[in-house]
Amino acid sequence: MAGATIDHMVAVTILIAALLLTMGIYNQMFASAVAYESNRKVAMKAVDIINTACICPGNPENWGETNTSLLGFGLQDPQAGGYALSPYSLMRLRTSSNDSQLVEYPLGSGLFYNNISANYGHGIFSPVGDCLNYTAAAKMLGINGTYGFRLDIVPTLDVNVSQVATKPLKLNVEVHGSGLPLSGATLNYHLFHVDKGEGEYPSITKYSDVNQTNSSGSVDIEFPYVMNNEPSYSFTVYVSLGGVTGVGYYTCNTLPDEDVQYVIPLIQDFDGKIIIAHNWNGDMPAVTYNTTFFVLSSDFRMHPIQIDNSTGQLDGAENPYNTTEIRAYEVGLLVISYLTPEDDMGSVILPWGVGALGVSISFGGDPTGYSFVATELRQVSVNDISYQVKVSTWSLSG
Amino acid sequence: MRTVEVLFVIVILLGALLMTIQFAVLPSPRQAFGTNLRELSQSTLETLDGKGVLTETVFEDSNDTDWGDLQKALSASLPPNVVYNLSVYDISTSSGGVINYNLANSISDAGFGVDSEAASLLVTSPDVTFTITPEKVGEKTGENNTLYILNCNEANGWWITGYTGQSLAIDLYDFLSSYFTTTVLINDTDELELLLENSTSLEGTIQNAVVMNPFGEAVPIPYNYTQNGPQWDEGYYLVDDGSQHEYYDTYSKYCYTLGVKTQQYNWTWVSIVGYPLYYVSNTETFTGPNDHNSYGIHGMIRVGPAGLNAFLRGLDGKTYDAWWWDNPNNRWVYGDGSIAREIGVVQFTSQARDKCNYYGIYPSPYQTASRALPQSIKDDYHLVATELFNRPQDNPTTSYYEPDYIPVATYRHAEGGALTAIGLTRIPDIRVSVLALLMYYNPAVYKSEFGASRTSRVVILQLGQQGGT
Repeated sequence: MAGATIDHMVAVTILIAALLLTMGIYNQMFASAVAYESNRKVAMKAVDIINTACICPGNPENWGETNTSLLGFGLQDPQAGGYALSPYSLMRLRTSSNDSQLVEYPLGSGLFYNNISANYGHGIFSPVGDCLNYTAAAKMLGINGTYGFRLDIVPTLDVNVSQVATKPLKLNVEVHGSGLPLSGATLNYHLFHVDKGEGEYPSITKYSDVNQTNSSGSVDIEFPYVMNNEPSYSFTVYVSLGGVTGVGYYTCNTLPDEDVQYVIPLIQDFDGKIIIAHNWNGDMPAVTYNTTFFVLSSDFRMHPIQIDNSTGQLDGAENPYNTTEIRAYEVGLLVISYLTPEDDMGSVILPWGVGALGVSISFGGDPTGYSFVATELRQVSVNDISYQVKVSTWSLSG
Repeated sequence: MRTVEVLFVIVILLGALLMTIQFAVLPSPRQAFGTNLRELSQSTLETLDGKGVLTETVFEDSNDTDWGDLQKALSASLPPNVVYNLSVYDISTSSGGVINYNLANSISDAGFGVDSEAASLLVTSPDVTFTITPEKVGEKTGENNTLYILNCNEANGWWITGYTGQSLAIDLYDFLSSYFTTTVLINDTDELELLLENSTSLEGTIQNAVVMNPFGEAVPIPYNYTQNGPQWDEGYYLVDDGSQHEYYDTYSKYCYTLGVKTQQYNWTWVSIVGYPLYYVSNTETFTGPNDHNSYGIHGMIRVGPAGLNAFLRGLDGKTYDAWWWDNPNNRWVYGDGSIAREIGVVQFTSQARDKCNYYGIYPSPYQTASRALPQSIKDDYHLVATELFNRPQDNPTTSYYEPDYIPVATYRHAEGGALTAIGLTRIPDIRVSVLALLMYYNPAVYKSEFGASRTSRVVILQLGQQGGT
């Protein structure tokens, strides 16, 4: 009798142990499957978002070229189609994640501008009221409150420009692709040389030429006609090789503080109205300015276009700003040169169209702190400049 | 004994577990969450070909430096952990019609690991030239038909919203002139009069001609055919039956004359949109305050549905006389009165779709027919119709039977002359008129291809990820 009981107890113990073991294993399998399924949903949503962003122009199609409200999100260039993004739609993205990154002008006016900076002084300051913010975009994508996303749109090629020497001016251009130097690349470059000129306004002289990178992906470019001890200029270079293209730029001013621009261009509206503002931060000297809009052609040539109020005077009191208008439907660079009474000179560039100066853009939320973030990558072009679009997506429901 | 039973149970449980593990295999993390390499590959191919560089390169010799540049471009644009293989295949068709793919060249930067994905792009050599030589209308029959396009500067159009008759005339010229031996723009109503009178001073051959009227529902009228002109009796009619009814003046007589001329000269008269011949227009003659169409367009006078009815009577060789007093409605009516009906959205016939592909003209296959003509006119006026659209289903909410109405057709009279009536709503898509005309005359197009014998290549970019599974 006792033997049967012991036999029974041993049997039950072994059975329970076996059940616990198998249930534990099953539990792990189910947990993995559930995690896989939920992560899979996030990954699919990432594909959905990047496809919507890259191959849908949005509604209305030309929303980047107007001040109209947006009904459907998409960044495709409706005229180019395919994986080409609109250089204008990108300018209407509110990239600033908090208000402290916005620029208020005039101070105390309550009018704020989004700041997509290419480098100090060279940026796209667009009116916040006309920009598309992250929440609105998420609502249009149908994911507000369920998924978060972030779009990073960066040039494919890394083009670095540095000044090597003066008298004559010599610049070095280095081109890198995905970690490797790009040899044999064709360079179409433009130097916007600022000089005092004969009148009261500074002059802009454009020098353009073509060159090629050497086996280490770099090249020195000399400008024998720029013989100033302290030259003032802006330089842009468009690089192309085998269908991939990139942009680089460099600016040198003869100002006491290299990091302060005395003139800042702001976009008044997306119909092409531009505010040329005197720097409102601190006590800046009065300047005279001379500005030209250069249209960028598909073969990377620059064609100057006459604009209104191309010259003028700015100061912190009576003439704080001036306005002008450029062709809203053509990609190009608004180059502004300025001159102080002390003969200090500087130049600042407003790229009209994101690709014109190879500006990078980040738009959306912050994925920090989320356990699973799916990413997708696409190659695109923005007015013929090669870019990569990366979308990061995460679930907001945990 | 029970221990043995339990051991059996455990064996069963473990067996079930092993079977579950065997079948419930989750995909690898790369397959589940990795970058979608197929779409990355597709976007890479498309952007590299954005300015035609990829196309140029893949047709170069494999030793050409462009291949090296392409390799650098691929390495520069793809992430460091992605390896690629780009293969280019020649596409050729053997005499038996079998399509062959032969590897022309291939470049890669490393071998693939576990798996990879690929996308393809079909490219055509930039050196290839395709030419299309249309057969001239009437070339086979020896008629060598002339195309006359009304471009009268002293006429206004109606139902061509957003366009002018003159601008449409130029567009029609661009579309159609290559299909005709001679194309003539009728630049004013004096030239139109020469056309109506078969004058030899006008370029081209008036007999067997095609006359296109791009002024929509209006038609230009020469001064001489108006009320005060010397040939007023060919253009103007005063309804006067001697009864107590008020007089009713009308330019439907002009439309009747056009119908007569169409049959006499074996013309094909083309109305590009709406109700044909609903107004007559001459901005230099119709200058009175009431000479407008009630919608703000001056220089024109309403003819109404009498215009088309009169034209059809003229085309059929009937007399002009068809006015009658509609006592209940207290008005004069010509012939059958208003005959066009709104029948809604209609779709191209399969033959029309074929012709779109054949001639390379692609208007929307769905159109709204608001001025469809009844098929009864075929019997009434001895016409044979070449139709473009399928007729719609019956709509029980309307008082008429929609399948009895023809949206767009060229109506050929048994004894010569034809009318192409595009009974669609405004704004006109003149490509429908062009298609209707080409479908009626059916000229051949001879397509030629010059350049290399192998003109198309398919590019396949295969991508794989390195590291991990």
